[in-house]
Amino acid sequence: MAEARADGRMRLTLLGGFLGSGKTTWLRHQLHEGRFPDAHVIVNEAAATPVDDALLTRASAVDVLAGGCACCEAKADLVALLRRLCDLRSQTRSDNARLGRVVLETSGLADPGAILEVIRTDPVLVHHIVVGETIVCVDALHGLAQLIGEPLGRRQAEAADRLVVTKLDEADPAGIGRLVATLKAINPATAIDGAIRGTPVPAPSDGGEAAVELPAIEGGSVAPIFPARLTLDDQIDWTAFGVWLSALLHARGDDVMRVKGVVRTPAGRMLLQTVRKVVQSPEILPPQEEREDDTIVVIGRGYHEADLRKSLERFAGVKERGDLSLLRRAS
Amino acid sequence: MCANCGYPAAPGHWTETGAVSPTDRMRARFRRAQVLKSVLPAFGLTVYDDGQIPGVQIGTLSGNITIAGDLDEVWCAAERMTGRPIDPLDPRLIGDGDG
Repeated sequence: MAEARADGRMRLTLLGGFLGSGKTTWLRHQLHEGRFPDAHVIVNEAAATPVDDALLTRASAVDVLAGGCACCEAKADLVALLRRLCDLRSQTRSDNARLGRVVLETSGLADPGAILEVIRTDPVLVHHIVVGETIVCVDALHGLAQLIGEPLGRRQAEAADRLVVTKLDEADPAGIGRLVATLKAINPATAIDGAIRGTPVPAPSDGGEAAVELPAIEGGSVAPIFPARLTLDDQIDWTAFGVWLSALLHARGDDVMRVKGVVRTPAGRMLLQTVRKVVQSPEILPPQEEREDDTIVVIGRGYHEADLRKSLERFAGVKERGDLSLLRRAS
Repeated sequence: MCANCGYPAAPGHWTETGAVSPTDRMRARFRRAQVLKSVLPAFGLTVYDDGQIPGVQIGTLSGNITIAGDLDEVWCAAERMTGRPIDPLDPRLIGDGDG
């Protein structure tokens, strides 16, 4: 990988992609393989509770920018953070110690093009940062539906210099072919890579499939996707949470695009992630003293945040009684 | 899995991940049934788990009974029996917005 440019500026790599497209998994693997040596990683989360930084332990430094997308609500925060990194860099005498690279993992709801605009038009940052590659992850299984139905999904694919089709093991070859053909039609100049669980695999081909014609989407016809952060006063009962989540996904899996929950279980802090109706293999996180609350972030559309909270409380608030009561038939 | 009582439940379903010991799994199973019992009757369904045979029994008031082995099967069965998916945001569970 190229070293920092001779003109002395810091190289920024943008990593984007729709909710659940596998950005963090891919980045985690790249960091592990040493692809972004000494990179400062910034993770932007749409919802106000960071979860992903626990997964990126290989980065030399991770900053989490939570509470909004960097292309809109958190724009000022992103600029401030980048300026701070530039300041630190200017103050560093040694060439070796000077920060050379930043990787910005955007939120799933972000438009990478808008973020690039923010960086390129800031009078300070433009002197310190050169934007390198924009890498966008696309889910092999859901990607085509996202291109068809989500304006944001299209903008992300259009902004990429390099597309990584992730979770190739979950989709059939014909579906992958249609996705690749459609991506090539949207963004002819881009390189297309493949990945399974973050590990690079041979690039997928269109297999002779034709690109899908994308219908026009008017701005107002699609309700905005929004993040909701749910916490309960007491510790969330992990089994009740599981019952609630499985019901929610079954009933509303198309509208509940992404769920990220950390709940305490006997096995430790369990991270549960979903992409539409698919629940990814849960992970037990390493213990972290400063994070004790159970937090659930639900990103989707078609409901009110207050109703989500009431609903979770309704399931998780069921009082635990002695086991004997279950030996009688339900009345 | 024990051929007689079917315990422990089939490994790998994501809702089992938080359990460490067989005691955890048993407690989780009962807890799941408890939560289902508090929710499904609002939709006209009964829930019964004797802790012996694998899975939980979901029934209609007319006596139609299905055994659901895991949560996914519970929701599929409930949808089949009531004609609609069980929606956690249904007003029958969370009120109609006045409370």
